[in-house]
Amino acid sequence: MTGMTEIQMFILAILPIYVVAFVLYTLRALRGPSISDMVLAIDAMSYDLAAFLVILAIYFKQPILIPVAIALALWIYSLDIYVSKYLEGKELGE
Amino acid sequence: MTLLDIVLIVIGEIMIGIGALADLIAAIGINRFPNFYLRLHAATIGTIWGAFLPLIGAAFVAAGCECLGEYRWFMAGGALITAFIILILGPAGSHALARGTHRSGIVPVEPKVVDHLEEDESMPTSQEKQEIGEEGGESQ
Repeated sequence: MTGMTEIQMFILAILPIYVVAFVLYTLRALRGPSISDMVLAIDAMSYDLAAFLVILAIYFKQPILIPVAIALALWIYSLDIYVSKYLEGKELGE
Repeated sequence: MTLLDIVLIVIGEIMIGIGALADLIAAIGINRFPNFYLRLHAATIGTIWGAFLPLIGAAFVAAGCECLGEYRWFMAGGALITAFIILILGPAGSHALARGTHRSGIVPVEPKVVDHLEEDESMPTSQEKQEIGEEGGESQ
């Protein structure tokens, strides 16, 4: 069981870097001048949040967090497509 | 715990560490760049290096750690599937967003030398094309 505690200590050391990155992404998402900046910041932050959820699943030994990450990645892609379709004003690809 | 498990765990931890650093760099870049089209660059760093790489590393760690119990292959497979989804969908979403932003014109292309996409979007009509062609023929 010593290996698991080493992994948990490593993840605990890595965790503040991710939290700082999320705070910076949230700052850009809140003050972005255009709607594209906001969506881009939310987009990048949520993909990183999916990776963060998988790392937390290893830390807490909870496998139930894995499907949450898959669903989050798919929803953020749909957010991108919805917003770009709204910006373009017509069907994508025409 | 065999030697292969230790090697997998160390490689996975290195990947997770690189991913965290790339995530921080991308977050700083997305705050410091002055323009949407430049911020796109930092955001794609955060998508591939900051999300895809730590997911592969998490899959390695989950596959190498016996302490996760009987669900460790489920966790490794789920992490791999999430990494594959992000590898395919992240650049596609960024491209769609950049295309929609450029076509709607809500963000000016600021440090600009030449913009061929804008010239293509303001294509001349067929009549103008014929006139241009005739002029070209006369000059030759």
